[in-house]
Amino acid sequence: MTYNLLAARGLTVGYGATPVIHDLDFDVPQGRFTAIVGPNGCGKSTLVKSLARVLATEPGMVTLDGKHVQAYRPRRLAQRVALLPQHPTVPEGVTVRGLVARGRYPYHGALRQWSPQDTPAIDQALNDTGLTELADMPVAALSGGQRQRAWLAMVLAQQTDYVLLDEPTSFLDIAHQVDVLRLCRNISNQGRTVVAVLHDLNQAARYADDLVVMRDGAIVAHGRSDTTLTSSLVSDVFGLDSMIGVDPCSGTPMVVPVAD
Amino acid sequence: MTQQQTKVFTIGETIAVLYQRRHVVLWTILAALILVLGIVTLVAGKLGIGMGDIIALFGGESSPTATFVLENLRGPRLLVAILAGAAFGLSGALFQTVTRNPLGSPDVLGLAAGAGAGVAVVSLFPTGLPTPIGALAGAGVAIGLVAIATGSGFTSPSRVILAGIAVAAMATAITQFVVTATLRDEASRLAAYLVGSLNARDLGHAGLICLALLIALPLLIVLNPRLQLMELGDELATSLGGKATTTRTWAIVASLMLAAMAVAVAGPIAFIALMSPHAARMLTRSTGPNLVTSALVGAVLLVLADLSVQQLPVLDGLPVGIITAGFGGIFLGYLLLREFRKGHA
Ligand SMILES: Nc1ncnc2c1ncn2[C@@H]1O[C@H](COP(=O)(O)OP(=O)(O)O)[C@@H](O)[C@H]1O
Ligand SMILES: [Mg+2]
Repeated sequence: MTYNLLAARGLTVGYGATPVIHDLDFDVPQGRFTAIVGPNGCGKSTLVKSLARVLATEPGMVTLDGKHVQAYRPRRLAQRVALLPQHPTVPEGVTVRGLVARGRYPYHGALRQWSPQDTPAIDQALNDTGLTELADMPVAALSGGQRQRAWLAMVLAQQTDYVLLDEPTSFLDIAHQVDVLRLCRNISNQGRTVVAVLHDLNQAARYADDLVVMRDGAIVAHGRSDTTLTSSLVSDVFGLDSMIGVDPCSGTPMVVPVAD
Repeated sequence: MTQQQTKVFTIGETIAVLYQRRHVVLWTILAALILVLGIVTLVAGKLGIGMGDIIALFGGESSPTATFVLENLRGPRLLVAILAGAAFGLSGALFQTVTRNPLGSPDVLGLAAGAGAGVAVVSLFPTGLPTPIGALAGAGVAIGLVAIATGSGFTSPSRVILAGIAVAAMATAITQFVVTATLRDEASRLAAYLVGSLNARDLGHAGLICLALLIALPLLIVLNPRLQLMELGDELATSLGGKATTTRTWAIVASLMLAAMAVAVAGPIAFIALMSPHAARMLTRSTGPNLVTSALVGAVLLVLADLSVQQLPVLDGLPVGIITAGFGGIFLGYLLLREFRKGHA
């Protein structure tokens, strides 16, 4: 077993009798920004939730540093792996700082609701997401883009090695999508591992280091984002006839549907 | 804008509690209100203890009548009102937080109906088992049935509520049967219990509910921060190490235990559990479980309601449950309207 690694082995998870994901192996590439792409309902959310132990995984397992994640104390694991789910709930009336502060829970104890590192960690997270000025605003009063940054600040305040993000760019306009993707890059440049479920293949290819392509609960391709996308893969996975062009800015692959 | 400055209170390395100054001010005001209402309860009316005697109580020397009234009539009744009110308030706050249902309270579980049925059944035995035992047993059976009927314990709020409605209907049927089948005077005593009354409480009742609160206390201290996390949704709470499912189960267990004990000593007093958390949220203007505020508000409401049935001539002698049901009904109507407006219900 490889150490110092978040990995899935023989992962089988689902919500009822039939598993969504069957016998899946996945080593999360360390210190890199990995994008998970695939059609709706193929199990992307299920995979990231399993990696963060939000879903129980039997049979098969998720290991961190070679140790079954179930063997970690919940808070201890939450100091290593953070997950921003697809639809988190904003508590009514909470301020940006109040929301970000919830990311510090893993560092607290049964009778200790505060640790001395909280304030610097929260300030740092607010600063990294450009929210320092808005810290005392109610989250409900923020724009969609600002709110997403507030959620990202919350998982940053968690100060984990692994940051898992489920569709962090969905429902944002293009400028704010790019904003979030740049933030993901910055986080991974700080040496943290970022795994994000993304929908836009071109954005995934341009901003992520690695690409994981899923279909029907299985990983069908995994590699560097500039070499993994091919038109036969896009046709296989999404059932779309396309050509692969070149992004004029970054030189990364760009999927263009063929003329109909 | 609500600027809520959070402060930290630390004792050594192991204890650090977050609080907001306005909450502490609010708690002090509510506690003072309970004290004032409590004193009024003791001194007001025909059998009222004189103010002098109240002061003397703390010194030790007081008249025998005053001592009798305090120890046997109004004192235990007041204590039960305070403690049962607090238990109802806590119970509702826990329940609403984990079911994310602003209209939820242990009443929807058929707990109160079960307690009523328990008391009714016990009254059939000539040996005269104590009423609280019947209430507790009835509440226990009702909760047990709900837990079995859902097939998943208390983990799924919607199933719990559906099963609760069914169990409540069965319990009410049993109660109706006993009420129609028993002798007239027994039936009217039963009727008073079934709406909730604080008449003729003794220190045993007060001790019972006090014990329940003491048992719940450590659990609540551990649950409180986790309940705050639950507001972020189960998935995020779990990924932060907050164990959403376990937290929900324990919060419901604590909620039911408190409600069952409160119902056992005070009868199924309606709506305190439902109203207190809402009033608490309005007062603190913050979300979260608001456990302390809900407990204090519950105590204020029940003491105030009981004081009014003791002293207001129009309400003379009515069981306190009728008052809380009256005001609670109006409040429930207001909540429903508000939810309709928001488009939730
Ligand atoms: N809570 C759930 N209960 C039952 N089925 C679910 C649940 N969540 C997801 N599913 C099903 O599992 C499959 C994979 O879902 P998901 O992992 O959310 O896909 P993706 O994130 O790739 O869109 C879908 O068919 C979906 O309907
Ligand atoms: Mg998804």
